[in-house]
Amino acid sequence: MITLNHYLVLAAILFSISLVGILRRKNLLMLFFATEIALNAVNIALAAFSKFYHDLTGQLFAFFIIAIAASEVAVGLGLLIIWYKRTGNIDLDTLQSMNG
Amino acid sequence: MDYILSLLVFFPAVAAVLGFIVDRDNIKVYAITVAAIEFVISLILWMAYDPTNPGFQFTEYLPLVPAYGINYYLGVDGISLFLVVLSTFITLIGFISLTVEDNLKNMLISLLFLEMTMVGVFVALDAVLFYIFWELSLVPMLYIIGYWGSELRIYAAIKFFLYTFFGSLIMLVGMLFLAYLYYMATGTISFSIPDWHRLVLPFDYQVWLFLAFFLGMAIKVPMFPFHTWLPYAHGQAPTIGSVILAAVLLKMGTYGFVRFSLPIFPDASIALITPIAFLAIIMVIYTAMVAYAQEDMKQVIAYSSISHMGVIILGTFAMNVEGIAGSIFLMISHGIVSGALFMLVGNIYDRRHTKLLSEFGGLAKVMPKYATIFGIMVMASVGLPLTIGFVGEFLSLMGFYKISPSMTFLGGMSIILGAVYMLRLYKTTFFGPLTNEKNRNLPDLDGKELTSLIALTAVVIWLGINPNPVLKPINNSVESMLELMEKKAVTKEARELLHANTVKLEAK
Amino acid sequence: MEKYLYITLFAPLVGSLFAAMFGMKPKKLFVGIVASLLLFISFISAVILLVHVASTDEVVKAQLFDWITVGSLNIPFGFVADPVSTVMMVTVTLVSMLVHIYSIGYMEHDEGFNRFFSYLSAFVFSMLVLVMSDNFAGLFIGWEGVGLCSWLLIGFWYHKPDLSRDQNPSISPAWAANEAFIMNRIADLGMLIGLFIIYWHIGSLQYDVVFSHVNLFDISIITMMGIFLFIGAMGKSAQFPLHTWLADAMEGPTPVSALIHAATMVTAGVYLVVRSFPIYSQIPEIGLWIATLGAFVAVFAASMALVNTDLKRIIAYSTLSQLGYMFVAAGLGAYWVALFHLMTHAFFKALLFLGAGNVMHAMDDELNIFKMGGLYKVMKWTAAMMIIASLALAGIYPFAGFFSKDKILEVAFDSHHYILWFMLWVGAGMTAFYSFRLIMLVFFGEERYKKYGFHPHEAPWYMLAAMAPLALLAIVAGFFEHSFEEFVTTLLPEYHFHMEGITKVALIGLTTLIALSGIGLAVYKYSKGGFSEKWKENPIYKLLYNQYYIPQLYDKLFAQPYRELSQIAWKELDLRLVDATVDFIAGIIYATGFKSRVVQSGNLSKMLRWMVIGLLILLVLVVLYSPVR
Repeated sequence: MITLNHYLVLAAILFSISLVGILRRKNLLMLFFATEIALNAVNIALAAFSKFYHDLTGQLFAFFIIAIAASEVAVGLGLLIIWYKRTGNIDLDTLQSMNG
Repeated sequence: MDYILSLLVFFPAVAAVLGFIVDRDNIKVYAITVAAIEFVISLILWMAYDPTNPGFQFTEYLPLVPAYGINYYLGVDGISLFLVVLSTFITLIGFISLTVEDNLKNMLISLLFLEMTMVGVFVALDAVLFYIFWELSLVPMLYIIGYWGSELRIYAAIKFFLYTFFGSLIMLVGMLFLAYLYYMATGTISFSIPDWHRLVLPFDYQVWLFLAFFLGMAIKVPMFPFHTWLPYAHGQAPTIGSVILAAVLLKMGTYGFVRFSLPIFPDASIALITPIAFLAIIMVIYTAMVAYAQEDMKQVIAYSSISHMGVIILGTFAMNVEGIAGSIFLMISHGIVSGALFMLVGNIYDRRHTKLLSEFGGLAKVMPKYATIFGIMVMASVGLPLTIGFVGEFLSLMGFYKISPSMTFLGGMSIILGAVYMLRLYKTTFFGPLTNEKNRNLPDLDGKELTSLIALTAVVIWLGINPNPVLKPINNSVESMLELMEKKAVTKEARELLHANTVKLEAK
Repeated sequence: MEKYLYITLFAPLVGSLFAAMFGMKPKKLFVGIVASLLLFISFISAVILLVHVASTDEVVKAQLFDWITVGSLNIPFGFVADPVSTVMMVTVTLVSMLVHIYSIGYMEHDEGFNRFFSYLSAFVFSMLVLVMSDNFAGLFIGWEGVGLCSWLLIGFWYHKPDLSRDQNPSISPAWAANEAFIMNRIADLGMLIGLFIIYWHIGSLQYDVVFSHVNLFDISIITMMGIFLFIGAMGKSAQFPLHTWLADAMEGPTPVSALIHAATMVTAGVYLVVRSFPIYSQIPEIGLWIATLGAFVAVFAASMALVNTDLKRIIAYSTLSQLGYMFVAAGLGAYWVALFHLMTHAFFKALLFLGAGNVMHAMDDELNIFKMGGLYKVMKWTAAMMIIASLALAGIYPFAGFFSKDKILEVAFDSHHYILWFMLWVGAGMTAFYSFRLIMLVFFGEERYKKYGFHPHEAPWYMLAAMAPLALLAIVAGFFEHSFEEFVTTLLPEYHFHMEGITKVALIGLTTLIALSGIGLAVYKYSKGGFSEKWKENPIYKLLYNQYYIPQLYDKLFAQPYRELSQIAWKELDLRLVDATVDFIAGIIYATGFKSRVVQSGNLSKMLRWMVIGLLILLVLVVLYSPVR
């Protein structure tokens, strides 16, 4: 029997993977992938909650997140391409103009 | 008449906003007109004030955030009335004597804004409102010192701002806690000062709250050892900045003592008389010595301000009508006299672009009018009878004599040491042979300078000879405040002290 | 009668304000004339008041309006003309009027002519406020007012530079003025404390209230009142140890010395003690102490006058010494005698100073009496009048000083204070000696001035005419002793002598003897060319000549340490300690900011790492402190 906990564990594992990706990856594109994984981990958790508690709000939020993730990727990738055209690389460590 | 206080507070602010659209060449006339109208309004307020009624008059009340007891609540009594008049008067005189050329428009607008905050502090009867005006007054002053000051202006401005701001934040915490205590006692939150006056607090709460308020006020006054921002602020500020700083802004602190500390925390105030008097005596003697050592005219007067504030504190903590009324009168007289002295130093600075004592000597021959007015102000500053300076000093010391004769003796050193540094200043500047060739052809005071200084001189003499129009309203309000304190005092010592603090024939 | 009270009081003020209008303009003769005329009016109305009070025994009172009203304190501008104040009023206005007239001539060539009259009349006004006020606060107004005018007038020639003490013992007029003001302020603090004591015990500062209640109090309180009021008197009357300013005050123009530092202002302290007799008669121990101090000053000051070479300083020390005599009388309870000596002294000492002014004019402001001599030939009138004044000062019959000064000695002897009497007796001898030393050196003997190229001349007639009434009074004032006594003892307590007639005669004889021998010694010695130069090597001579080194001592003991302490207070304490602490605290905050700003590196992954760490910490806190378990 697959319970809610199984889904939540899956979501947690996925979230952890994405967190490691966010912290360790230096390539901006990879960073995007990692964030997508994090969002989807949350999506899984929301959908699972929705199913087990018979409450559609969770799925509703999951859809919201998908929509927002899509637009975020669209804007983000656009900015990334411009950045690549300007500097010729997308390494995270070169992006330090805002240091204090 | 019902809205005269709102008018008094917001007229300069509105005029300041409108000032942005006034042509640069006309701005000075505009500003003087505004200040004159404001002064006339404050005089009307004085005329309409009923001196026999010791309570708050012309009150205005408008709920702002009723759930938290924050209201738009204004009113004056004898204690604040003359500080309002002093603020408008000094602003007007300051405008007339203004000699700044650079970016004049911005300066006048910030001064008008400053005038709003000064009047606001003295008429606010709601602690939040009071606090807002109190803090807002820092902004224009920061700008005035920081933009028009001399070399070290940024340092001085930031020191002034941060130091006083730090103190008032602690005072704010005290206010919030006091409102909370009020809530615990009555079930409603109130920031109204008259409500707080009626609140009876246990002794230990009083002490902590007193200390929180004390820090805010003491830095503003400024009391030793929180005074070091003042010499920098005065030393760097342009003349008008020093005039308003010394004449009015410092009085906010001592006014705060009379308005908040004494009536809200009577037991704590009385229990802490000795340490505070001790600080005040250090202020009087120590800063008088420091003033004597100065090499810059303006610094002498800056330090003398601190010394005089010490006498004001002594009078305030005398806990009797004579002392408190005297200290309020001394606030006014010190405002006028130190304002005038700073203006006089400004006049010589405009001519020679230096304030160093070593540059001068023998000026009495070159600038007799200047020397005469300076002499009158020096004599008022050392507290010669029949000048404005005597009444307050005499009454403050007399009041404190009832608390402690020996401390009064030490505080009374102010009349000796004050004479020492002031006469030294006068002698090195005006007496002796004319040694510096640059001073030989200095022009005497011109019409503009004379107008402002003669007005001040007239006030100095008039209130010195006839101080009663001012003393009477102060006297009544202070009397009722002391009655209130005696009624709400919780400790036995405080009640006894307040009760015994009048003249009684002690026949054997 | 109130009308005359106001005329007496305000005529000098009007004169002062009138002169002040021309203060910055070049000399206008009419300014001096108008000021003198107003003084004359003031004098006449004072005389009218005196006659009125004397003939009807009515005390004239007037109140202008309330000055300070706070709490239970009420100070009106109230004035009173009773026997004591009318005597003072007449003395003050008479001497002032004559000095005003004299000054028209004396200040003739001074560019500050108008200013001078403005100050001088303002002084008279303040002095009248002092003596006419009906309360202690009003007295204090006048007290400080005369202090201010004295400051202005001592520093009248403010443009002179500061010199070292060897070149000019008073350093400079401006310095002397400040010294006088500050010394007086020290005493004023004592006086203020006296007023506070009176107020907090009696609840009023009105003379009549205070004096009618004073005997209700514990003796210790009255003692405190007496002591602190007397401290005030010590400053104004330049009693030891606050005496140094008086000699330095001689930097002022000579008419000022005559009016302020001899006849009127310095006697204010005596007036205060006489006026407060209900306080002092309760506390005879303090009175005795005052008398002892007075006797000490009488001898102490006279000893400095013995050797001084400065014309005006000698007279200044003599004033100091005579003030000591007055305090002896006041302290021993013979208030009317003190007041009588005050009055006669005002006449002959003013005369002496004005004469000195003539000499200075003749000698181009030279003050060293060893550069004069033989001036009698050119200045007969001046010489005659100065001799009259000196005889009065020495207490020779029938001059005024004989009556008043001898009375003081009699009082001392009669109250069995033989030591005081002896000191005063010695003082009388010294007085006679230095007075005639001065006369001999200035007017007789070798004409030393010729060596120095002076061309002395007699003063103009109106200056001499202004002195003449004083000379007349110096001769005859003594004969009014009994009517004076009768008049003032309607207010002041009488003093009853217990002496036998024969003792009295013996005392008078003794005093006259020592005075005459003092004169004789001076005349004999200085007609023979004076003492030998060897005396100048004598340590006692040096001690006396340098005023017992007291000014130097004060300089070393107070002025210099104060200057240095002030420097330390500013440079070390204020800048290095107090301000540095504040800056240090601010510095810590700044430093922490600088140190921790590396956190904001701008590197995204680092910032994310901080975020995760923060998140974890928050999670841990949630787990630890969660209210739901």
